[in-house]
Amino acid sequence: MSTQVRVDDPQVGSALPRRLSSRLSGSDRAFVVAARGVGATVLLITGGIGVFLAVQAFPTLRHYGWSFFTETDWQPEADRVGIAAVLVGTVTVALVALVFAFPLGLATALYISEYAPARIRGALVSVVDLMAAVPSIIYGLWGFLLLQPYAKGIARWLHSYLGFLPFFQVDTDPDAALWEQTRYTASAFVAGLAVAMMVLPMASAVMREVFSQAPLGEREAALALGSTRWGVIRSVVLPFGRGGIIGGTMLGLGRALGETIAVALIISPAFDLKFQPLEIGTNTVSALIALRFGEADDAQLSALLTAGLVLFLGTLVVNTVAAMVVARSRSGVGTDI
Amino acid sequence: MPDPSRRRARRALAALGAVLLVLLTGQTPAFAAYGQIEGTGSTWSQVIVDQWIADVDANGIKVVYTGGGSSKGRKDFASGTTDFGISEIPYQQTDEYGNADNANGRQFAYLPIVAGGTAFTYHLESGGQLVRDIRLSGETIAKIFTSQITSWADPAIKADNNGRTFPDQPIIPVVRSDGSGTTAQFTTWLDTAQPSIWRAYFGRSGLTSYYPKPSGSRMIGASSSDQVMNTVASDAGNGTIAYVEYSYPINKGYPVVKVLNAAGVYVEPTQYAVAVALTKARINSDPASQNYLTQILDDVYANPDPRSYPLSSYSYMLLPTGSSDPRMTTNKRQSLVDFMFYSLCEGQGKAGAYGYSPLPLNLVQAGFEQVAKLGAADPAVDVSNRDATKCNNPTFVAGDLARNKLAEIAPAPAECDKQGAGPCLGAGQTAGGAGTAGGAASGGGAAAGGGGGAAGGADAAGAGGEVVAGVDDAVTIDPETGLPVGGGGSGGSDVASGSVSTQIARPAGGSVAFGALAAAELLAIVLVPGLLAVRARRAAAL
Repeated sequence: MSTQVRVDDPQVGSALPRRLSSRLSGSDRAFVVAARGVGATVLLITGGIGVFLAVQAFPTLRHYGWSFFTETDWQPEADRVGIAAVLVGTVTVALVALVFAFPLGLATALYISEYAPARIRGALVSVVDLMAAVPSIIYGLWGFLLLQPYAKGIARWLHSYLGFLPFFQVDTDPDAALWEQTRYTASAFVAGLAVAMMVLPMASAVMREVFSQAPLGEREAALALGSTRWGVIRSVVLPFGRGGIIGGTMLGLGRALGETIAVALIISPAFDLKFQPLEIGTNTVSALIALRFGEADDAQLSALLTAGLVLFLGTLVVNTVAAMVVARSRSGVGTDI
Repeated sequence: MPDPSRRRARRALAALGAVLLVLLTGQTPAFAAYGQIEGTGSTWSQVIVDQWIADVDANGIKVVYTGGGSSKGRKDFASGTTDFGISEIPYQQTDEYGNADNANGRQFAYLPIVAGGTAFTYHLESGGQLVRDIRLSGETIAKIFTSQITSWADPAIKADNNGRTFPDQPIIPVVRSDGSGTTAQFTTWLDTAQPSIWRAYFGRSGLTSYYPKPSGSRMIGASSSDQVMNTVASDAGNGTIAYVEYSYPINKGYPVVKVLNAAGVYVEPTQYAVAVALTKARINSDPASQNYLTQILDDVYANPDPRSYPLSSYSYMLLPTGSSDPRMTTNKRQSLVDFMFYSLCEGQGKAGAYGYSPLPLNLVQAGFEQVAKLGAADPAVDVSNRDATKCNNPTFVAGDLARNKLAEIAPAPAECDKQGAGPCLGAGQTAGGAGTAGGAASGGGAAAGGGGGAAGGADAAGAGGEVVAGVDDAVTIDPETGLPVGGGGSGGSDVASGSVSTQIARPAGGSVAFGALAAAELLAIVLVPGLLAVRARRAAAL
């Protein structure tokens, strides 16, 4: 007799994994299609603007070639059109704006996220956000009528005590008994101050957001090691928020580059290639377009749109870099603590 | 018999139907026969046009006028984006940029709307006070605006003012940076009256709408008449001089230069002086010409009448007269017709008070005929029953449309306004008696006095039809009026600080209370929205 070994087939199915169905239900599919469509529309519009500007810019670029970027004058009647001076003016105004908006925005964000009592934190956030809601023409009027009389005094002070620095130079005598007040008005400096007020809320909001995401564990660790509140900020909040600080500032820069109506109100349009923000007369790309658009003929319109294309590409690059920096900081990469 | 409630319902339904019909077809039924009309153009004449727009608004005529400069006005009209344009100069066929400057095929007619003087306003402080009553010859003005005369202490200015001296301050000309009819009028005058100076500076002959501003010059460019006037009147405007229509300095209470005319008299651009000057305007009187009613001003500049202001001119509306004009509808044409009938008729009575000069009756008549072309283009437009002679126009002499009463009653110039005499001081805008504070006077008290005086003057200049007459009557010699002469050196920073306009605006008493109130309001504006938001958020969280 032989032993029978019972062979029981366990009736287990093959070891293949269960097939997962990724088929969406009807409503899901509709949602995906709709969301994808809307998202694509945004891209399409942005791309369309770029294509439109490029097409419009083509005749100008073909006619002037590289001289469009090196010529300072904007004299269509003499067939001399270029954006060198205007680009320099744009960057000058934006830099002046950042010089004021960066420390203000950083301090505001730090105060709101770290120092402000919880009771007033919400109110402060609303107030800063409210600044972003003020129309830019209001900032223009504010800068022209209220700020300028004081700003010219500051400009003169800077000129008389720091005038040995080339960018604080103004072509007049600051110590004259009757100092030439007009030389200090309608300048990139005053326009930059007004633009700073518009940049501030945006930069501050991004920074605040990032600061509030500084990891709690590290904060508590720092406190446990006997750190003061300032010590926490220095060793935890700022290093973790570095990306947000840079990104917020660059987003602000993007806004400052494109700011139009406040600048157009304040400046006295001039097409000189100069690096003296305190002195009267400057121009920015967007202000140039706003001021010249109404009376432009076809050729001039093409030139203006070419200037617009340069501005568009510039702000696109700045904003993209800013968005990348902010996104990287949020994922926590690049902080070495 | 239908019961009343059903009848009411039916009536309501009918009304709803009518509204729907209006919404769907865009056609307005008879009870609202006006369509909104839009225009751009001259800021030279914008002050009076805005006033007319406010006047006709009560009759249901909606007019939107956004200025932007004559060049923009012509361009927008040509490209068909506006219903009308206003420009100081006609289409030039070829513009400064070598491009076409014409109506682009759109049918139109020129319609004179108002006369006025291109004034030179200035902001010069001496001893903390605004200097007034400066007189300049055409040559001096041309040299100032071509950067040949750069100081207020220049001997040429001293000679124009018969030996009166001014602080040794740089002159800062403020010019228009946009395409401007004011610039075109000014450069037309420069090219005609001071050709050697102008052409050497401009590099060619003729007029331009874009004032040439060489890089490195001390000139300030500003867009629109408003911005030019703001630049001059601003706190920092000391030393500036600008060309704008007379209404702008009047509104701001700033003085204007008395310009030397061909008869050797220094004259301000009052409505009388402009009316006198324009009696010599050569108007194109060929109705078949496209340029019918446009002006040639050579004889105005050289008008030998001692009462005339050289830089006088008319401003024109571009009227879309085509019967198939794509922008025009019957309702819009009716708005334009009634707006212009009002402006040319009743509206002219207001011109003097606002710093302009009314059109003479023959131009009003011709203007009516131009407006009537809209009726010819569209028979549904009502242009009947209009009579220029029934208008309340101060230029009207019964029985003779060509005569201009204003020009006839214009006062003879004062002796002290003549070349080599005077100068007339303390009259005009400083008639309020404030100008007497000497140059040595300093501190808040004197400054406030000056401010009050200036405000008084401004009030007088804004108060009604008689105003300019009042100013003119006041042109009497007052040699006792002190002038802060040569206060530049010792005055130092006192001189430079503080502007006239801010002193006018400051309330005389209770400044502490007002200050506290303002601070409280500011705090409330800043804090209340935030606090409300917090409360709302907390309520939502509960």
